[in-house]
Amino acid sequence: MTRMTHEEAFSELSAVALDTASADVANAVRKHAAACPECGPELAAMEQTVALLGELVPPAQMNRGRSAGIRSRLLMRARSERESHSAPVPGPPDIARGVASLTGQGSRMTPGGQRIVTGESKRVTPAQTPNVPREMIPVRRSVNWYAIAATVALVITGAQLFRVTSDRERMRSQLAQLTPADTTKSPVDSLTLALSQKDSMIAAMTGPDVKVVALTNQGARQPLGRMMWNRSSNDWIMVTYNLRPPKPGMTYQVWLVTADAKISAGTFRPDANGNTFMHAKYALDRNALRAVAITEEPEGGMPSPTGPMVVAGAA
Amino acid sequence: MNPSERAQSYSPENGSNAEDVALMRRIVEADETALGALYDRWVRSLYSLVLHLLKDPDEAEDVVEETFWQAWRKASSYEPSRGAVSTWLLTIGRRKALDRLRARKRSKEDTVTGEHGFDDLPSTAPDPSSEVEGAELREQIRAALNELPDEQREVLELGYFTGLSQSEIAEATGQPLGTVKTRMRLAMQKLREPLSMYRGAKE
Repeated sequence: MTRMTHEEAFSELSAVALDTASADVANAVRKHAAACPECGPELAAMEQTVALLGELVPPAQMNRGRSAGIRSRLLMRARSERESHSAPVPGPPDIARGVASLTGQGSRMTPGGQRIVTGESKRVTPAQTPNVPREMIPVRRSVNWYAIAATVALVITGAQLFRVTSDRERMRSQLAQLTPADTTKSPVDSLTLALSQKDSMIAAMTGPDVKVVALTNQGARQPLGRMMWNRSSNDWIMVTYNLRPPKPGMTYQVWLVTADAKISAGTFRPDANGNTFMHAKYALDRNALRAVAITEEPEGGMPSPTGPMVVAGAA
Repeated sequence: MNPSERAQSYSPENGSNAEDVALMRRIVEADETALGALYDRWVRSLYSLVLHLLKDPDEAEDVVEETFWQAWRKASSYEPSRGAVSTWLLTIGRRKALDRLRARKRSKEDTVTGEHGFDDLPSTAPDPSSEVEGAELREQIRAALNELPDEQREVLELGYFTGLSQSEIAEATGQPLGTVKTRMRLAMQKLREPLSMYRGAKE
């Protein structure tokens, strides 16, 4: 429907104001109303009336901790977008909720924005917003993040790359060995998809623009994890090994440390062997990262770090 | 002064719309602290509305987050001449909530008719922190609603709280489509008169 008579448009004004008309009808009505001295003001008045009806509802108070979490994520996303040249880009962002993106299992994640390598991250705690009132959140500013992180040297992640590459070769071999009779849609699609994921993973972990941050603590002789950041594709891959389970009621939380912020990058729980493998996309200014750190925080995560730093690495 | 100009001056519980407009200007300039301030001012009203529509705290929180994110991304599309910032935010939030209701309905084919209504709304605001002005407005709106004939009120409720199209309302109520359209238009026209007067009187 591209054109409407005055009578047709007038009869649809209330439906458009209530947002219950189809998109075609609404567009046609708005097009008419834009030029009609009767329908234009009438539609505007109806829309304002509809909006004011919203103020009739009984006041409800969101859980204060959750509200603080939403606020924190919004500001982090906004800051991140501003820092990455600020101009809004079309389409949904790669992450919908700051840190949760990195876990790949946040409950409020933009669909399709994350990929999880199954079988390597045994369990990732859904990154719920914290159920803790804002005033109960102490921020320990005394932790010397940079000093600890600066003790760590960068290393190449050959082991992870070898592992993923081996998986890919094994899958390719399986795919090649399938006979025509075997090539029903399901197994072929499944293998092809898995192969595609491995290819993407390898692409994310290699290339000239990948920054690798080794994660360790002062007592460890070997790195306890690595963060790989492909600054061209905005892929982030984190692996950890030999991490003890967090204490009951606690979870691990990842932080991307920049000059003026500690950006929560998600919560996670290592598997029984202390291993974690996470993959996410998140845009960050290529020169902004100073360090990566993991702290132990109350289940659900916190808007800013409060707990002891388990491991960290300088970028 | 026309209705839109009057609406622009209205801001129920959190001060004048001029402060909101100033925040919107800062948001356009990519000042995220302004987004935080806008959130603090309006999260409660927005959450109240979407929770009432969706009846699900988790989904309501999602909608709140999506709404403020859209406010950040689309701040430049806000036109003060078309209404208050709060009106703009609540409109975005309600639209997103209705989208979810419709998706829920498509997936479950559940019946939403009768689940919501203006009768659900309390006669007095339960939160003592609500300012007198906000409570007064609610009473004015409620009074206007109460004066509507039942059949007009019914179609308005179905449209407002469930997002049913007029055709769907006609089907649900067994009334001809033309009748539904007329009733809804009359209800909206009657409702906006006292609201406009109220807004004008607040100036």
